[in-house]
Amino acid sequence: MDVPAQLTELLGASRVHTHPIDRLIYAKDSGVTAGDPAVVVLPETTEEVAAVVRIAADAGMPVVARGAGTGLAGGAVPCPGSVLVVLTRMNEIFEVDEIGHTAWVGPGLINLDLSDALTDQGLHFAPDPASQQASTVGGNAATNAGGPHCLAEGSTIAHVLGVELVTAEGEVVMLGGAAPDLPGYDLRGLIVGSEGTLGVVTRVLVRLTENPPSVATMLVSFDDINDAARTVSEIIGSGLVPAALEMMDRGMIEAIENFVNAGLPVGADAVLLAEVVGHPDGIAAEVDLIQEIAQRNNAREIRTASDDDERALLWKGRKSAFGAIAQAAPDYYLNDTVVPRTRFVDVLDEIYTIADAYGLRLMNVFHAGDGNLHPLVSYDAAESGMTEKVIEAAHEMVRVSVAAGGTLSGEHGIGLEKRDLMSQVFSADDLDAQARVRDAFDPDRLMNPGKVLPGGSRCFERPAG
Amino acid sequence: MTSLRAVTLRLLEQLRDDSVDIDAAHVVAPSSLEETAAILAAAAEAGMPTAFRGSGTHCGYGIPVSADLVITTTRLDAIVDWQPDDLTVVVQAGVPIDVLEAEIATRRQTAVLPEMMPGSTVGGAVAIGLSGYRRLRYGPTRDRVLQVRMATGYGKVITGGSPVVKSSTGYGLTRLATGSLGSLGLIGEVTLKLWSQPLSVATVEVDDAAAALDALYRPLAVLETSEGSFAYLGGAGDQIAAQAGQLGAAHRFGLVWPEPLTEPFQIEFRVPAAYLATAAGMARGLGASRWIAEHGVGIVSAGFATVDTGELAEARAWAESVAGALVVVAGSGIEFDPWGSPPSSLEIQRRIKTAFDPAGVCNPSILPGNL
Repeated sequence: MDVPAQLTELLGASRVHTHPIDRLIYAKDSGVTAGDPAVVVLPETTEEVAAVVRIAADAGMPVVARGAGTGLAGGAVPCPGSVLVVLTRMNEIFEVDEIGHTAWVGPGLINLDLSDALTDQGLHFAPDPASQQASTVGGNAATNAGGPHCLAEGSTIAHVLGVELVTAEGEVVMLGGAAPDLPGYDLRGLIVGSEGTLGVVTRVLVRLTENPPSVATMLVSFDDINDAARTVSEIIGSGLVPAALEMMDRGMIEAIENFVNAGLPVGADAVLLAEVVGHPDGIAAEVDLIQEIAQRNNAREIRTASDDDERALLWKGRKSAFGAIAQAAPDYYLNDTVVPRTRFVDVLDEIYTIADAYGLRLMNVFHAGDGNLHPLVSYDAAESGMTEKVIEAAHEMVRVSVAAGGTLSGEHGIGLEKRDLMSQVFSADDLDAQARVRDAFDPDRLMNPGKVLPGGSRCFERPAG
Repeated sequence: MTSLRAVTLRLLEQLRDDSVDIDAAHVVAPSSLEETAAILAAAAEAGMPTAFRGSGTHCGYGIPVSADLVITTTRLDAIVDWQPDDLTVVVQAGVPIDVLEAEIATRRQTAVLPEMMPGSTVGGAVAIGLSGYRRLRYGPTRDRVLQVRMATGYGKVITGGSPVVKSSTGYGLTRLATGSLGSLGLIGEVTLKLWSQPLSVATVEVDDAAAALDALYRPLAVLETSEGSFAYLGGAGDQIAAQAGQLGAAHRFGLVWPEPLTEPFQIEFRVPAAYLATAAGMARGLGASRWIAEHGVGIVSAGFATVDTGELAEARAWAESVAGALVVVAGSGIEFDPWGSPPSSLEIQRRIKTAFDPAGVCNPSILPGNL
């Protein structure tokens, strides 16, 4: 019996797809690269995933796991001939421990659905990537996703305490757990951020974060982005770690205001969005401190919101950024690099220069507080050679970030997009050590092959045009 | 075991560490990771069991190792690069925690390393995966190790992680190294994420630690101990007064931590935080001379003059039944398996060990499952 027939026997015809149109639907994530799975399956239980992996392993077929497909680095792009395991049906919240602040959830659970379900308990899941209305907890774990509030709370790695993993051999193991410092190696810490290359995660034990008793959000505009940058540095240097510290540049502000009327100050060179949370008695002092620093650095306008409606208005611009870009041009390429936070103005300058040299339209909306840059190029992929040009410019932007002491990705992951750039930050011995880890989990290299580590088979091609 | 080459013996003699008195054929203090890697390559070739040592304050973790070669971090003692405005520091393994914390405190920063044992080294804390009481507020040490440089059991120097505060770039080798107890090689240098110290800090004695944790928004720590219960607060002065008022207790400024446990036999319950009270009750029931329970974290540390190993085994069975563990962290004088049941991932753990230490010479058998 061939593999699709075995999978159909296991899952039923409605959850196994081999038709070219179905395969096309699942051929991409939200990045620029497409693949082509041999078969797409939609399991609903851990046992089903384990059985799928065993069937694929017996046939020597690669297995690629996928959530909502919002990833930008190609980590969930199915390599040709693979079994694509779509985990979106495994979206349950199994149990919530209100004392220990943890919950076991399915990998297909949508990030925001988890926080919404916890409103009554006064808890939330801290990672808040821009994709949180669509992206899944499993995908967040696979990419070690971030978001504005990771400045104070840490990335997804700090919020995943344990995982249930189907290994490359199709066995089920538990890694980590609700208890601290369990004996043995921290394999959970290897799984988070491994982009599906070490096994398929079928349940996630998440750490939940208490909703803050009070929140204040401030929007500060500047006539010179250097003043905004100095404000960021001085805030961090003052000892205050805001819950979020986001920046938008002139191009981004204009694009957003053209798209939605969020009340952003058009004409400003940069806007800083700062949020502080905590005890009501502490927040006022922190707001004062940020105001004082911003004023000292020539802030042109400071707005402070204290109730939820006002806060939502201030965040509206930031959260509309990607819709705004879609309106500006049919395609966009969103990069993701990290630099030491003291270096981001210099690096931004170089990034603007690169975009100018390539004649590309560049905008920036980014996590200034932790130096996580998101240079964004809006373009039209239908123009001949345009995608290649955009990617070439993006690689140059990575190079200047690395040269400033930074790294390839802060929160999107490596996937296919940056796989061949890994040698910019890791030596051959460093990459060999990572390959040893991979081989310990997946000796036959069947789990999402060709991702993260360079030197894999180059079995991918970009879509035509 | 094959014999060491003459060139290796000369190197070992040249790097001899006379500052420590340990019973081993060779005790050396390399001054670089490259030297360490060369030594480990030679040890691997000769099949020579090798142990690693910082300042020796936490030697009781894991299954005791009998080593012919001990590599100390005595000469890896530099604070390499502190960037206060980036809130990062690159530090070598042998730097004592109190030395590092004193240095960065000059800019009111902290690495949030364990508060308790003066002289313990940064490398030791990372190798053990040891966190301080403030993990309730700032998370465990492993979340602050941004980058690690180590000499592996196969004799190479490798770097894992990224030098910046946020990264999704390759596998989390920093997490693998943290808590690996020297079983993969020697951790020689780490880049740590720092925090600014709160504007002010205070200690409040409370009647009910669980109620205090419930009432407070993100205290630094809440400890219930054999000597009383304490909440540790950080923030602006007004905020501290308000929170102490909420607890109905007087506060004193500064952080007054419990005296460290000094008993020769010490254990830790590591359980989901919801089971902390039960674990603390068990520590008392086992006859602990002193104990410290970390509310909201799930660790109960307990020291004993004497203990019934049958009762200890029952307590371990309970801890494991709630997906926790009972581990021995200082084991003098009492025979008891330090770890308990190995994890369900033992086979993968074994492959990781073999991948980084193919000759099996790095702290052999120190981990659960004799890895």
